[in-house]
Amino acid sequence: MDECQSAIPAHDGDLHVVAAAHHIVKALGTTKNLSDDLRKILIDLDAHLSLITSNIDSKGGKGFVEVEERLKRVERKIVIWESDRIMIWDSGPKEASDYLEAVDEVQTLIDSLRGLSMNENQKQKELLHRASSLLQMAMSRLEEELIHMLVKHKQQSEPTYIPSPSSQRNVVYNESVVSLDNESAKEASSKNSCSDECGEYIVDLVPEHVIPDIKSIAKVMFASDYGQEFCEAFIGVRKEALEQHFDILENGKLSIEDLLKMEWCSLSTEMNKWTWSMKIIFGVYLMSEKRLCDQVLGEFGSVNSFCFLEIAKTTILCLLNFGEAIAMGPQEPEKLLRLLDMYETLADLVIDIDALFSEDGGSFVRLEFHKLLEGLADSVKAAFNAFGVAVSSNGSLYPFPGGGVHPLSKYVMNYISMFPEYCSTLNLLFEDQHSDVASLVSEPQCGPTASLSTSCPMACHLRSITSSLESNLHKKSKLYKDEALQHIFLMNNLHYMVQKVKGSELRPFFGDEWIRKHNAKFQQHEMNYERVTWSSVVLLLKDDNPGSSSLSKSAFKEKCKGFSIAFEEVYKNQTSWCIPDPQLREDLRISTSLKVVHAYRTFLGRNPAHVDDKCIKHTVEDVEKLLLDLFEGSPRSLRNSRRMMKT
Amino acid sequence: MPATDYQASFLGRISIRRNQVIAMDGNHEQELQDLELFSKHVSERFAELLSSPDDVPFDALLSISWLRKLLDFFLCCEAEFKGILMMGNDPSQISKPPLDRLIPEFLDRSVKALDVCNAVTNGLESVRHYQKLAEIVVSALEQKPIGDGQSRRAKKALTSLISAMNVDDKECSAAKATERSWSFSRRGVSSKDRVPEHFRSVSNHVAKNWSAAKQIQAMTNNLVPPRGAEGSGLASPVYTMSVIMVFVMWALVAAIPCQERNGLSAIHFPAPKQLNWAQSIIGLHEKIGEEWKKKEKKGTAGLLDEMQKMEKLGNILMGFTDSFQFHGDITDQKAEEAAAHAAELAEPCRRMEEGLLPLQMQIREVFHRIVKTRTELLNALDQVGKSSPPLL
Repeated sequence: MDECQSAIPAHDGDLHVVAAAHHIVKALGTTKNLSDDLRKILIDLDAHLSLITSNIDSKGGKGFVEVEERLKRVERKIVIWESDRIMIWDSGPKEASDYLEAVDEVQTLIDSLRGLSMNENQKQKELLHRASSLLQMAMSRLEEELIHMLVKHKQQSEPTYIPSPSSQRNVVYNESVVSLDNESAKEASSKNSCSDECGEYIVDLVPEHVIPDIKSIAKVMFASDYGQEFCEAFIGVRKEALEQHFDILENGKLSIEDLLKMEWCSLSTEMNKWTWSMKIIFGVYLMSEKRLCDQVLGEFGSVNSFCFLEIAKTTILCLLNFGEAIAMGPQEPEKLLRLLDMYETLADLVIDIDALFSEDGGSFVRLEFHKLLEGLADSVKAAFNAFGVAVSSNGSLYPFPGGGVHPLSKYVMNYISMFPEYCSTLNLLFEDQHSDVASLVSEPQCGPTASLSTSCPMACHLRSITSSLESNLHKKSKLYKDEALQHIFLMNNLHYMVQKVKGSELRPFFGDEWIRKHNAKFQQHEMNYERVTWSSVVLLLKDDNPGSSSLSKSAFKEKCKGFSIAFEEVYKNQTSWCIPDPQLREDLRISTSLKVVHAYRTFLGRNPAHVDDKCIKHTVEDVEKLLLDLFEGSPRSLRNSRRMMKT
Repeated sequence: MPATDYQASFLGRISIRRNQVIAMDGNHEQELQDLELFSKHVSERFAELLSSPDDVPFDALLSISWLRKLLDFFLCCEAEFKGILMMGNDPSQISKPPLDRLIPEFLDRSVKALDVCNAVTNGLESVRHYQKLAEIVVSALEQKPIGDGQSRRAKKALTSLISAMNVDDKECSAAKATERSWSFSRRGVSSKDRVPEHFRSVSNHVAKNWSAAKQIQAMTNNLVPPRGAEGSGLASPVYTMSVIMVFVMWALVAAIPCQERNGLSAIHFPAPKQLNWAQSIIGLHEKIGEEWKKKEKKGTAGLLDEMQKMEKLGNILMGFTDSFQFHGDITDQKAEEAAAHAAELAEPCRRMEEGLLPLQMQIREVFHRIVKTRTELLNALDQVGKSSPPLL
């Protein structure tokens, strides 16, 4: 305020000018609808002019009278609130604006007094101290008001709608591939993908109408050089609020050591929570927090981003460290889907993170999350490889009873049927290792004629998994001593694979060619089964002398007996075998029936003379009926009925 | 067997050869040289840290720049260590005795160190808060003339500063810290001196019962100097690196506010004095341990040099503001003194402003390095496990 020093007039004439100017300023000051800035200028001008006037009036002696008067007036306005227990902003807008006006006045007086500080006037010094004390009192009060305001309105700012984690991709596979031998795998319940359900929500962390009040406090505190106090108070409350929101999301406060030791089931839950928390904290709260900071601190430059970072940092570090712990953990196959969720979530958020922390101070946060994203990408790849290894190395000591669908097939097929949902991510991650796998999977789909979906990296990886599964199943089939059962086992499992591919999102990635080829494979096993089981049985009924019209009685009897024994043997064995798919079971029975019943009927029809109840143990109808008992998975025997017939 | 012996002892080498015929022959000379160089570097680096003069404020023991140097040295030692362990010689060594036992123990220690890194990173947030409060004190008292208003402003920030340091002092008990509600009403606070502090809760990043001291104690489990022929093999750098890691984590925890540090000074390093490289570390351990013991009784937020200066100057300035308020005014001489102290306080603030973020980033770097080495060692173990049938 040097200009007012130099502007102190020397002549009486000037005095009139000053008085006139003062008058005009006062008159202008009463005008309503002035902008804040203009009003401030007028108040400043008013103060300067009165100082000049009082200086001239006093002629050195009883100077500062008017300043002191004004100080006293404003002191009353400020001190009166000190004994009051009600918050100013709770009392009403009038009280608040009066108070702010008073603080402005104090600041103006201080500025003016400082401007005149050359005189070393004792009175002036005293007034300056009084004004500074008053300012401190007011600033302290404003800080309290700010905190009170922020805390009071914090509770009401819960977002009205936050989708719950239960609507997320649900947890389907928590068991591990290692533990599932001879245990039925859970069928995958189909899940509703809802990756877009949580877009960016910006919520009012503080109700809209409170923002101008907070801003008015910020303005006056910054103007009085109390910006640091404002920031600390603001950061303190907002930081705590954010941490409370974080706590509500129930993130366990776990050390890396704990996480590395954690059981898979609990870990899976924690991973889900993290994915969820990331979406909520970054997508909702930090976005909203950033907007709040912009609204309140937007005009104060770098303070804005500094405060935002301080508010966010500890919460962010918590999320970051969990991610790091997961990325460094052993990548077991069962983690794959959870890892994919984590990766996708972070990949979606990375742009937001870059935008939120675009300033220099936040580069640290940006960098860390980009690093984490890379780490998670590596983890996904490692888990996928581990999955492949687990599929091909899953070993069994004993044959799977009944030759039905092996749990490994169920596990693998259900598990990979989740992958199409992550198609674009997996394609991105597999891009660099694509050519290796594509050459490994010697399927025509990977050739140049293949369509886009069957030749994408994920498709090739999926088929490499299923071909590992196939070779493992072949290994497992060798555990059966009965060759026919080997075929039943392979037929069942290949059929299951084809069905799973056909009935799921997997279909476009495997393609019709794959389906055709694998249909042919299981049908081959079906035929092989029939050959191995029934050819020798049917052979027993074959006419040894095609020339003659009919067999001798004893030869007929012999053939009948042989057939019965062989049939009963098959019956005894194969009723305990299992074809879980009703359609497949039906088909196999029909074709068996066609072959066996037909041969039996022809055999009996060729020898009508010998057909009597005594030597024929089973009628054609019996055989037809008994064949229906096969592959039901419940062992039966015909020994009882045979004994009955003999007696 | 002391490590110094093997460098010269012919008999020592013979005994190594007898014990580890397959593992070491052609490369053995090279390996011995590497090991020797490694312990030489370690001892040089820590000797430099030990000789940091206390009177030069910039490089003082446990100052920000000293800690940064410490972390720098940690990273150097770590890189050399990894080189010796993995790039040299026969990789299958790491799966043979005694390394088959020592490496998993080392990895276990690494994981514990990661949690310490995180705790310390979190603690730096508190230090950042102290800095901001101290800066308010400085800006209040650097104004001229200092009047009642300035004094009150400083006092308010000082009260917050000292109590914040004390909250951390009580071992960061977050439960205690969050108990205090923001929603204090003005009822009952009628005193003119009521202090709405710039209170900030200390957020926990781990469970409440997590203890930095216990964590470091646990890191010393199984940490014994290699004996006999082991002392000249790869067991010795694993041991050296473990001691360095434990020491670095211990020093960080002593310097920076951290959750639960009771018994920190009671942690012993099983590092025999006769090991050349260990002498400086032992010296530093004793020196810092003494400091900690002194402070532990009355409680301290940490031994970070800048923080201690802040605490000291804070208390002096607190006295000044008290007497100001008592007398209503102050002599010019007192005012000048206060201004000088405030200017002094500006110094650690400035160094925190410059150094805290880089320090925090360096701790992250240490974190990432430990993770990386752990991953590589695990992969190497995995690789060895695959390529050779297990020795039964």
